[in-house]
Amino acid sequence: MKRIRPSRWSGQLLQARCRAGIAATRQPLFLAVRCQSTSPATTANESSDLDSQRPPLPAPSFDRAAQSAKLAALHARLSLPRKIPLQTLARALVTPSADANPNFNNSNLAYLGSTIINYHVYEYLVCKWPRLPMAILYEALRAYAGDASLQQIARRWGVESAAAPGEEVDPGLLQWKAGEEQMVNTRWGYIRAEAAKGQAWRRGLSSRVVLDDDFGDQVSSSEPEKLEYSGLQSEAFGSVVRAVIGAIYTHCGREEVKSFVKSHILSRELDLSKLFEFKLPTRELAMLCAREGFEAPVARLESETGRLSRTPVYVVGIYSGKEKLGEGAGPSLDVARRKASMASLKAWYLYSPGNKVRVPSDMMEEGARPWTAPYIDIGEII
Amino acid sequence: MDLRTLFVRPASQLLSPLRLLAITKPSAAPLPLIPSRGHKTTTRTKRALKIAPHDSFLPSRTSAAAADSIIYNPPSSEASPEHTPFIFLPRNDPRRQAILRLRSSGSGNPTAYDSSVTAEADLPPEMRYKRRQPKYNLTKEHIEEMRRLRSEDPLTWSVQKLARKFECSTVFVQMAAPAPPEHLQWLKAKMDRKMERWGPKRTQAREDRKRRAEMLYRGEL
Repeated sequence: MKRIRPSRWSGQLLQARCRAGIAATRQPLFLAVRCQSTSPATTANESSDLDSQRPPLPAPSFDRAAQSAKLAALHARLSLPRKIPLQTLARALVTPSADANPNFNNSNLAYLGSTIINYHVYEYLVCKWPRLPMAILYEALRAYAGDASLQQIARRWGVESAAAPGEEVDPGLLQWKAGEEQMVNTRWGYIRAEAAKGQAWRRGLSSRVVLDDDFGDQVSSSEPEKLEYSGLQSEAFGSVVRAVIGAIYTHCGREEVKSFVKSHILSRELDLSKLFEFKLPTRELAMLCAREGFEAPVARLESETGRLSRTPVYVVGIYSGKEKLGEGAGPSLDVARRKASMASLKAWYLYSPGNKVRVPSDMMEEGARPWTAPYIDIGEII
Repeated sequence: MDLRTLFVRPASQLLSPLRLLAITKPSAAPLPLIPSRGHKTTTRTKRALKIAPHDSFLPSRTSAAAADSIIYNPPSSEASPEHTPFIFLPRNDPRRQAILRLRSSGSGNPTAYDSSVTAEADLPPEMRYKRRQPKYNLTKEHIEEMRRLRSEDPLTWSVQKLARKFECSTVFVQMAAPAPPEHLQWLKAKMDRKMERWGPKRTQAREDRKRRAEMLYRGEL
């Protein structure tokens, strides 16, 4: 058994306590009820009060944010600066599906947060892997900052959802429900003229940079496509992460939010070589060599074993002149050759100037070294 | 004394009668029926688990015994795509300058992955496979002739036959002299009739082959 040392508590806990005291003095009825719990007992006591006439709020009131142990715990767990009040954190947990009023839900904070996340992830990706094709870049952004990834982050932060949103629920729980229509538009892009032709009809990639949203997804015009339960859930959890990041930017500024994004989102590991799917790798490699002025690629058989057996293994290397571009092993000569060309193409696309690349936002720091231009590639092969 | 020993021993050891016997008679060798896994302290456990690496992991592998053995460390594996080959490095990359410096200094193999500047004979044998070998031997008259033959009698003048006659690739024939649409329709109907006759095994095998190719291109094979 350890003794309790209030002097060692973080400032947040102490702050939460004292605010709870203030709230209690204002409304003496709250003294009797046990706060910091998810039990809906408070409304039963309140029903005799004057408030009984008004309809229940769609989400918990921000007055109760200071009493929530879950909110204080989340605040402390994320080591958020003390400038961010618990009320803002409580607002980050109210999704538009629970409370459609944009003055009380997290849609504005989430949109601000999503722009910050996408900016930092994109500048990192583009500076670190300057030759990535556009399709891979979009998928890499989705892997870092898509709804599914942000949901994982939110769950690791310990965010839990309420069974159903309502006034009596603990404000430290995520307020969302499935099957609600999206009132607030959080995706921005142009509505394409060819959108009426359906999902299957799609233009090339380069127009997506201008016309579509950050992930290269088409913004639909009339009726938004209905997401499944899991899609809505990950959207709700993802909006929490985005809203927290938006709140950090609002209250603390650029530097804080950059370090937060770096430590929570960019620190996650992603194997980019798994994202590639080729169609005609040998032809693509030949076109690459022709474009760059290298000699045409030639496959050479480096070693083989068991040619007459049931399980032969061939190791094929692709050479351009005397320089080796890549090698692959496979159970047949053709498979090995195709694997070798895919390996060489990946080696081209995954070129990185180094692990410590500087990004444009580094220049906003005080006393930054002069900027040196990053490597810029001329573009995709085909 | 005995009682104290019994008291200190964990209960699992007391369960076996043989163990009890061994304790009462200190002259007999203690026979642990239940093997003890722990070493009481972290330090002792770590020390006991610290095993020297196999000889093949050691830096010098020159001894004759190591050369004979089938163990090779590190085991052969696919090259990582994060390793950029020499000619894929941009001009101002410091790695390019470093490799160039090494090569000019004349050491045998400056980069393990890239082959150094060697003679053509030192490279592995070239594979034989179908690849693009542009000849540019056809003129406008040739192409017109090709189109005429194909439209007049697409059955006789198939893609293969035209490619052989004009010494070009089949892809070029398909681009330059496409068959009339009714002939393509007839070919497709013929193929459909053939596919209808396929049994479950052949259909399955075809689907599997397609799926394998997709997996290969996704890098899953």
